[in-house]
Amino acid sequence: MDTQFLVSLSIIIASFALYIGIAIYNKAKETSDFYVAGRGISPFSNGMAIAADWMSAASFIGMAGTIMLLGYDGLAYIMGWTGGYLLLTFLLAPQLRKYGRYTVPEFIGDRFESHTARVIAALCTIIISFVYSIGQLSGSGVVIGRLLEVDAKVGTMIGVVLIAFYAAFGGMKGITWTQVAQYVILIIAYLIPVVFMSLQLTGNPIPWLSYGKIVGQFQELDQQLGISQYAEPFLKGSKWQFLALMFTLMAGTAGLPHVIVRFYTVSTMKAARWSGAWALLFIGLLYLSAPAYAAFSRFILIKNVVGQKISELPAWTEKWINTGKLQIADANGDGILQWQEMVISNDIVVMATPEIANLGMFVIGLVAAGAMAAALSTAGGLMIAISSSFAHDIYYRILRPNASEQNRLLVARISIVAATVLAGLVALNPPGVITQIVAWAFAIAASTFFPALVLGVWWKRSNAAGAIAGMIVGLAVSLGYILAAKYGGFSIAGIVDTGAGVFGAVAAMLANIVVSLMTKEPSQSVQEEVYDLRYPEQMTYKDGQVWMR
Amino acid sequence: MKQIDKKVADSYFRERVRLIVIFLIIWFIVSFGVVMFAESFKAMTFNGFPFHYFMGAQGAVVTFIILLFINAKVSDSIDKKYGISEEKNEQLSAGKALDH
Repeated sequence: MDTQFLVSLSIIIASFALYIGIAIYNKAKETSDFYVAGRGISPFSNGMAIAADWMSAASFIGMAGTIMLLGYDGLAYIMGWTGGYLLLTFLLAPQLRKYGRYTVPEFIGDRFESHTARVIAALCTIIISFVYSIGQLSGSGVVIGRLLEVDAKVGTMIGVVLIAFYAAFGGMKGITWTQVAQYVILIIAYLIPVVFMSLQLTGNPIPWLSYGKIVGQFQELDQQLGISQYAEPFLKGSKWQFLALMFTLMAGTAGLPHVIVRFYTVSTMKAARWSGAWALLFIGLLYLSAPAYAAFSRFILIKNVVGQKISELPAWTEKWINTGKLQIADANGDGILQWQEMVISNDIVVMATPEIANLGMFVIGLVAAGAMAAALSTAGGLMIAISSSFAHDIYYRILRPNASEQNRLLVARISIVAATVLAGLVALNPPGVITQIVAWAFAIAASTFFPALVLGVWWKRSNAAGAIAGMIVGLAVSLGYILAAKYGGFSIAGIVDTGAGVFGAVAAMLANIVVSLMTKEPSQSVQEEVYDLRYPEQMTYKDGQVWMR
Repeated sequence: MKQIDKKVADSYFRERVRLIVIFLIIWFIVSFGVVMFAESFKAMTFNGFPFHYFMGAQGAVVTFIILLFINAKVSDSIDKKYGISEEKNEQLSAGKALDH
């Protein structure tokens, strides 16, 4: 055991002790607290909790590396994963808050007056959250495995135990404050290395202002090396794939049940608007920094690694070659490393940066703790979404309407543990690359919930038959396209599996509208309730009149 | 509870929707719009970046954040103009949740 191992381990353990301590302190006693934290969270804190919930292992560990490898084409992730908050905050969050239900399936069930729609929505929630959490668990497995120097599978199992523990015993209230703490830790861990790298490379400690110069220099450097231009658009995929992926990520953001449920924890429509704004500010801090990470790391690789004698590479390269995340092969046998002779994994950029920039053991441990915070906070939120869909929407509303509160809380906890263990088992052998799995979850959310919720809130004529048809068609088209594109080599305009959401969302939207118009309009009271969502809480729409309370 | 003119309530809704439409048009232009014409922005530079790269990595995200804050702020002033009190809203929504 070396010192680095002990330092990293103690920082991670200290941060876990903090999260678990907060969870125990807030141990939820009532069902209403368990799901939505008693509805009294301020927009500022809620914004941080949304940000921690939102930024997953893929954002923290994977995104900077993805941009470094894809160049301009990787920016679809930056714009896609931030732009969705506008759709969410403008079109859905305040209205869903006024409607006042505990979960997304509950809104769909009541708005469309249909148990069938509720069950389909609950199943979609479980599918989306489950797919998403597989990525988180295997991400946490990689980090724990690497730092504790155990197999990644063992690391995944440690992650499963931790998530099951605090999600099951803290409930949403524990989760909210735990997530605020996790946000603070992950953003500090993300920013420290990039600030120091910026200082080392440009003499300017503000990376967002300084890395433009680096990106500008790539034009010349890439030409000298004869490699593809970093800032040149659409080299790794078609323009339509870029646009489709960006749309999928945006619409998926606005349809993710575990993110929407966070807007039920604020008190009013006004607070929902402010929560959305704060959340994107906090998220933006990380998303604006990821391309800086990418540019600095690429610059260091070109300057200090490429063109060196293979026997004289910097010391940190050896450690990463040993993990298999960095591969170097002297293809032309000249003893000097060419860019083409190096294969870099997405995962190493953020994790290796503290070593590349020589920032010392404490920062390396801090980055590991930040990565764990990102993976665990998202997985925690996903598990709450799964358990509330099952315990509340399926068990309580359909199977056992007279279940006692204690009984329902017990079912909620059992379903968290069961879902975590199940997702952990799949994560031991994930069916695809982590970013790919995450993009599938977004495609399904964009194709099922996004159309159903937008039409449900903005179009009073949308009815149960339309919503059910829309969700089923959306699910079928998105899953069908993902499978056909991934395994059948099928594509339209160069759009691959990760952009599937654009087809699913359009098909679901059309199915919802056409079927709604062909069938009976919703009941008068539902139409009034939808009309009522146009106004703030204080105004009420009733029998064609508006009342002020 | 007192009745208010339907026209007043409708103009509240129209003002809010007009805002949202304007914001979503800007949202579309800075993201999808710039990507669609990325090739033609290549020659321009901003703070060292090629312009299309700057918009993807920073310009669009910063615009999104600013739009959300403007929306929150302007919506508050619309609420104020129509005499909506946040305290009252909080009171009303406290009882609005399903009782279970």
